[in-house]
Amino acid sequence: MVGSTILKLDGLSKNFGAFQALQNISLEIFEGEFLTIVGPSGSGKTTLIRLLVGMDEPTEGEIRLRGKRIEGTPANKRPTCMVFQSLALFPHKTVGQNIEFPLKIRREPQDRRQERANELLDLLRLPRDYYHKRIAQCSGGEQQRVALARALAFDPEILFFDEPLSALDYRLRKALEKELKDLHERTGKTFVYITHSLEEAMVMSDRIAIMNAGQFEQIATADQIYAKPVSKFVAEFMGEVNLFDIDGSERSGIAASALHSRENLNLGLVDDEFGTLMVRPEFIRQIDGEGNSDFWVFGKLRAEYLLGSRLHYEFECKDGTTLTVEKLREDRLSCVAGDEVLLGWDVENTHLIRSGG
Amino acid sequence: MERADKRFGFLCSLPILVVLALGFLAPLAVVALYSTMPERVFGLAHFPTFEAFRTLVEQDYYKSLLWSLGMAFVATCALFLLCWPLAYAMAKVFRSFTLAITVLVVMSLFVSENIRLFGWSLTLMKGGLLEGHARAWFGIGFDGLLYNVPVIVFGLVYVYLPFMLFPLAQGIAMIPDDARQAATDLGASRWQVLIEIDLPLAAPGIAVGSLLSFVLAAGALAESKLLGGQAVIVIADEIETAFTYSQNWPLGSALSVVLIAIIGCLVTYGLARVNLDAIIGRNR
Amino acid sequence: MGASRSAKLALYAYGIVVIAFLYLPLVSVGFASISRARYLTFPIKKYATKWYSSAFASETVMELLAVSLRIALIVAAISMVVGFFGALAFARYNWKHRSLFQKVILLPIFFPQAVLGLSLLIWFNALGIIPDWKTAVVAHLVWIAPIATLIIAIRAYSFDPALEEAARDMGASTWQILREVTLPLLMPGIVSAGLFAFLLSWGNFPLSLFTTGADSTLPEWLYAKVVSGYTPLVPTVGVLSVAGSLMLIAIAFAIFHAVKFASAKSA
Repeated sequence: MVGSTILKLDGLSKNFGAFQALQNISLEIFEGEFLTIVGPSGSGKTTLIRLLVGMDEPTEGEIRLRGKRIEGTPANKRPTCMVFQSLALFPHKTVGQNIEFPLKIRREPQDRRQERANELLDLLRLPRDYYHKRIAQCSGGEQQRVALARALAFDPEILFFDEPLSALDYRLRKALEKELKDLHERTGKTFVYITHSLEEAMVMSDRIAIMNAGQFEQIATADQIYAKPVSKFVAEFMGEVNLFDIDGSERSGIAASALHSRENLNLGLVDDEFGTLMVRPEFIRQIDGEGNSDFWVFGKLRAEYLLGSRLHYEFECKDGTTLTVEKLREDRLSCVAGDEVLLGWDVENTHLIRSGG
Repeated sequence: MERADKRFGFLCSLPILVVLALGFLAPLAVVALYSTMPERVFGLAHFPTFEAFRTLVEQDYYKSLLWSLGMAFVATCALFLLCWPLAYAMAKVFRSFTLAITVLVVMSLFVSENIRLFGWSLTLMKGGLLEGHARAWFGIGFDGLLYNVPVIVFGLVYVYLPFMLFPLAQGIAMIPDDARQAATDLGASRWQVLIEIDLPLAAPGIAVGSLLSFVLAAGALAESKLLGGQAVIVIADEIETAFTYSQNWPLGSALSVVLIAIIGCLVTYGLARVNLDAIIGRNR
Repeated sequence: MGASRSAKLALYAYGIVVIAFLYLPLVSVGFASISRARYLTFPIKKYATKWYSSAFASETVMELLAVSLRIALIVAAISMVVGFFGALAFARYNWKHRSLFQKVILLPIFFPQAVLGLSLLIWFNALGIIPDWKTAVVAHLVWIAPIATLIIAIRAYSFDPALEEAARDMGASTWQILREVTLPLLMPGIVSAGLFAFLLSWGNFPLSLFTTGADSTLPEWLYAKVVSGYTPLVPTVGVLSVAGSLMLIAIAFAIFHAVKFASAKSA
């Protein structure tokens, strides 16, 4: 399903005065994929999407759509379009008139327009009699669907999304995430989605690009990013994580004071290298004695939180750092606040983030 | 709290309603009554007739009315075209310059309109600021630009510019930026954005601005007197003459009633379609 | 998406042209007032300030100034009070006929002033009142009080009703709430409404023309002299009238800044 390169960014930069919003960004987007760009607010993702849609011009760099440079082409001349964060539905037009708008702009005949609008209402599972409804009469979820239908009526080569679900309540958002993924599969179009919510990105995307301070930190599948983050930023951005700074020159490579490990454990760090050892909280278990796992720490249970199906524990280590552990409800730990227990995990569940020498 | 709101709302509205009842409603009622009196009487204790309205039609007074309405219409259209780019810039492009323009335009309103019109006659007359200097510096003399119909329309455009500019800017400020961006993104050209998005969404501002300019221009007096000479007699001039020199109050009243009726219909029709909370309450 | 650089420049230039267009006639009046010649022609050959000295010496001009000032001050004072309450009814309280009230308030603004002035003349006559400067105050109020209401209403829209509710919650009476919360919060709007009212009354011509009776205001006198019996004093008095407005605006700005400075210092 995922094909050749459709959009290629090469050395893209955008400055606002002295502020560098985007610094030398490169990215290839493949035909038919669902790519999500995730980043905290201020990371430059909104700036990036404005460049991709054509509402702004880059300070430097190239954007190629199927090999053709488009960075100077204005938004109305590009075969791409965007679903806005605010949806930007036209309040003075009906649902039908909103959906038909791009067709009207192309001067297609009225009967053809209405036919297409009805097809799109069907595709988005909106009743056909919504055609004459006012935008203000639609619920939040319905407005989302109208905005999607309008964008699809444009028949874009790439459909961009600027956090369109962020204003909705949790349940509706979850339902629409799945619908959007389903719609992506049914239409086979290239979707590029930006959001600050990692959960959203993981549910929907084929690939995720993590953005920070105007640059990409990592571009990979959700699974790869979760298990093998390339930086501390990505590791922390992708949910709860325990990180230990380690130093290759130490015996067995362990520098963190509270962390113990089996002797001669080879983490692959050479003498003058530094790194961070990452372990996700769900891989940590309670052990009976030292040496029963590859790594262990002594931890005093500080607090326990119930997160629906899971339990979240916070332990205080000897050196005062916090260790988080997560368990499914049926695997609840047998300790209460104040207890000191031995916690361990194995090397195959860790990931080493190298930070160089 | 709701009930208190209702009571206080009514109480607070009273002072100004009293002013308007005594200074607006009552005079209009008296004028309406006078319009049904026989010609050249100065009391209201006569049997009602429609003589005055007949005179109005028979003696070609309706021509003045048509002139006034026609010139007001042309001035309103010109004002719309002139003010749109500036109002757009004030609402969407300028930053601090919007405040500067607002202050300067409002300040011009505080100068009596006849001083400003008198200034135009000094500017446009033969031997005035324009012709005098053109002759002295470039040797190009021409007749004065005063005393014709176009210069009256020019005067109307000049005097009522703020009444179009501000409502228009307020209306344009109500257009959401992302609606315009979405339209562009969906392929619309500048012209298509104007027709499909800007004009319909700024409609309340356009309606208020056009109504204000048209109504005030239709009842204007000073422009035709100070700039137009006797080129045409406007309706307000006829009304003034009837009330003062000719001492024919019923005729003056009948002329007023016709003008008021036309204006009243336009204003009620226009304002009924406008949400005032949205226009005035909007803090940009 | 913003406008391109050249489009922006063109719009700035257009803005300046419009402002120049609004003020050009005042430039002509200004030059005319310092021309020495009895019969004005441009370009002006000799300049003199003699018309100013004769204007200040003229009892008529001083009388005109006094009448205009008296009317404007009273109109401003009444407009502030009436407008304050009107604005509360317009924007703050949610009462049954609010939307109708809002439209009724606008009617006098959407009304040709000359016709309004003449209608008032007939009305005063029917009441047996002989017009003088006091009737002009009423005439001005009909047009200016609604404008003052709108100006204060703009301020009242941004008013958070929770503030009044909080005061009531702490036991304040209706009168105390009005004095301690509502009035101070709306004060900037009330002051600017008063300023507007004064200036609009000071410069008003079409209403004064028919309602001042034997008294006369500055703009009215100017009109009469322009239409018949031009004297070289006309541009001079025009400039004096404009200068009066400017002076008031300057004073208002100075007070505004002084208050802002004082409150910034005490904070």
